[in-house]
Amino acid sequence: MKFYYFHLMPYPMEHDEPSSWVTLSNRHYDPVVGQRLYHEYLDQLETAERLGWDGICVNEHHQNCYGTMPSPNVMAAMLVRRTSRARIAILGNGLPLRENPLRIAEEIAMLDVVSGGRIVSGFVRGIGPEYYSTAVNPTHSRERFYEAAELILRAWTEPGPFPFDGRFYRYPFVNPWPRPLQQPHPPVWCPSQGSSETVEWAARRRFPYLMVFTPITRIAQIYGEYREACERNGYTASPYQLTVNLPICVAENDRKAEAIARQHALWVYHVGLRMLPGYWQPPGYTTEASLKRLLATRGKMPTELTYEDLEEGGYIISGSPATVRDKLRVFSDELKAGIVCSGMNGGSHEATLDMMRMFSEEVMPHFREDAAVDETVGVGR
Amino acid sequence: MADVTRLVVRDTPIDLLRDGRGAPLLYLHGAGAGGRWLTFQARLAERFDVLAPSHPGHGGSPAAEWIEHISDLAFHYLDLLDTLGLDRVHLLGASFGGWIAAELATMASHRLDSLVLIDPVGIKVEGWIYPFLFGVDPLQLVATIFHNPMAALALAPPDTSIDTLAMLYRQSTALARVEWNPYLYNPLLRRRLARITTPTLLCWGAHDRLAPLACAEAWRKEIPGAALRVFEESGHVPHLEEPEALAAAVIEFCAPRGRPR
Repeated sequence: MKFYYFHLMPYPMEHDEPSSWVTLSNRHYDPVVGQRLYHEYLDQLETAERLGWDGICVNEHHQNCYGTMPSPNVMAAMLVRRTSRARIAILGNGLPLRENPLRIAEEIAMLDVVSGGRIVSGFVRGIGPEYYSTAVNPTHSRERFYEAAELILRAWTEPGPFPFDGRFYRYPFVNPWPRPLQQPHPPVWCPSQGSSETVEWAARRRFPYLMVFTPITRIAQIYGEYREACERNGYTASPYQLTVNLPICVAENDRKAEAIARQHALWVYHVGLRMLPGYWQPPGYTTEASLKRLLATRGKMPTELTYEDLEEGGYIISGSPATVRDKLRVFSDELKAGIVCSGMNGGSHEATLDMMRMFSEEVMPHFREDAAVDETVGVGR
Repeated sequence: MADVTRLVVRDTPIDLLRDGRGAPLLYLHGAGAGGRWLTFQARLAERFDVLAPSHPGHGGSPAAEWIEHISDLAFHYLDLLDTLGLDRVHLLGASFGGWIAAELATMASHRLDSLVLIDPVGIKVEGWIYPFLFGVDPLQLVATIFHNPMAALALAPPDTSIDTLAMLYRQSTALARVEWNPYLYNPLLRRRLARITTPTLLCWGAHDRLAPLACAEAWRKEIPGAALRVFEESGHVPHLEEPEALAAAVIEFCAPRGRPR
């Protein structure tokens, strides 16, 4: 199994507002605190490489306290020259949120060239509230996503200049300099929450599918659908196409790990993902059929999830190194996920580094049967 | 209660509510009012042949993906007039429907005997930014739209079933397609309002918090000869908040302007 260290770069704060997105005033953001946090978070990502993680992950979110990386490419640029081995996974760029997605093709190519071909390029639509924060029309989201993805992939692979004439994006000259170092292009991942349209689209292109903050039963179901879609497209999915974003909390014993997780892992769900119901599904962001499926299952809102829901549902795993190993086996052996992207939060920078060290020494080595395998061969392209 | 019929307008199926006798009056509803037959419509039906189509994606009308700009809706209603063989009509529009009506009037004043706009949105007014109502909770929505919140009951969804919630999502999706950004206006419309040659009445709620009276002044300035009536007990929707007074004002304005036919 491959391990990627995932970071949201949250601005951890408590508040009583109805939403941590869109309307939570940025007067709550103290740039002096922000400076300390950014450096701690970047240190954690750099440390992950030294401790043996295969990759480190950044991602894009706008106007909230949940994740303070509005430009993941800026963060990736900081990491590229401070690391030398780990893959840098940008999970991802919100394609429809850009007015000029050719800029993504250019920035990723820059990062890929400077990093010596270590970039993984995630393509995402951005989540609901981001259509409020960027004013991009959510009814265009899906179409803009597919169109921007096509543009970027062609920009990386077809010799320029060529014209591109889409519904949303039009260029008389597509001819980005530089071109990416990885050929035909950096691996593309699709972080998603399991819409059937995205599953099919990703499977057809061999783009790894990353389940984000999802209960284990749903992960199993979507992995099944993804594998079926791969078979329909004439090939068998590599384990490295099945990826999960799974917060992990490890400590000397189960009781201590639970205490830490209760205090810090819950924040993501109870504060970080708190928002008005209307923000989750802006008009037209979801198809009517998908919305009906969603309503029929009547899942809990993140703020309604208890610690027990998260732990029993397999949204997160916590425990002693032995317990975490056992729980991780479910993902590696039963779900057959090839890559785990996990963030950790010990409650302080030092405690987080300690937790990472414990994980790298007492958990990771037990999952290294595939140490010699390059997870990017044959996938993501 | 009016009859509902399914009509196909140039390949686009819609529901049409129709009742009353007299000269034809086309009523274009605002957000959330598709498929409703309300008190003021019943009053108008005493004097007019009231045609109340549900916009595509609203009420019982299926979504129409080809509609991506407000002018698409204006052309859709010109097509509706042709489909029904109506040479000229009185045209009445409320809020979002008023915006469509104004767009249509800039294209084809010669098809209109009179034009009544009830608290329309659709133009940019200096110094005013329409409050963004997508995503807000229902209480805030009602507080913004209604001066008399009890009047909101007329538009309350029948239940919270999956089908009803899906219908509400379909409606807001149809709205978002044409008004998410720019929000609630067409930058090209204001200059074009001068093309309207139809006698025009603007009806406005004194307490409108979505498009306040300052907006009414802008509309009056741009549409040649437009008259303005203010409804003192209303917010954004006087046709719901003061239905009798509003219907009376519409009848008074439109009835004498019908052509012999």
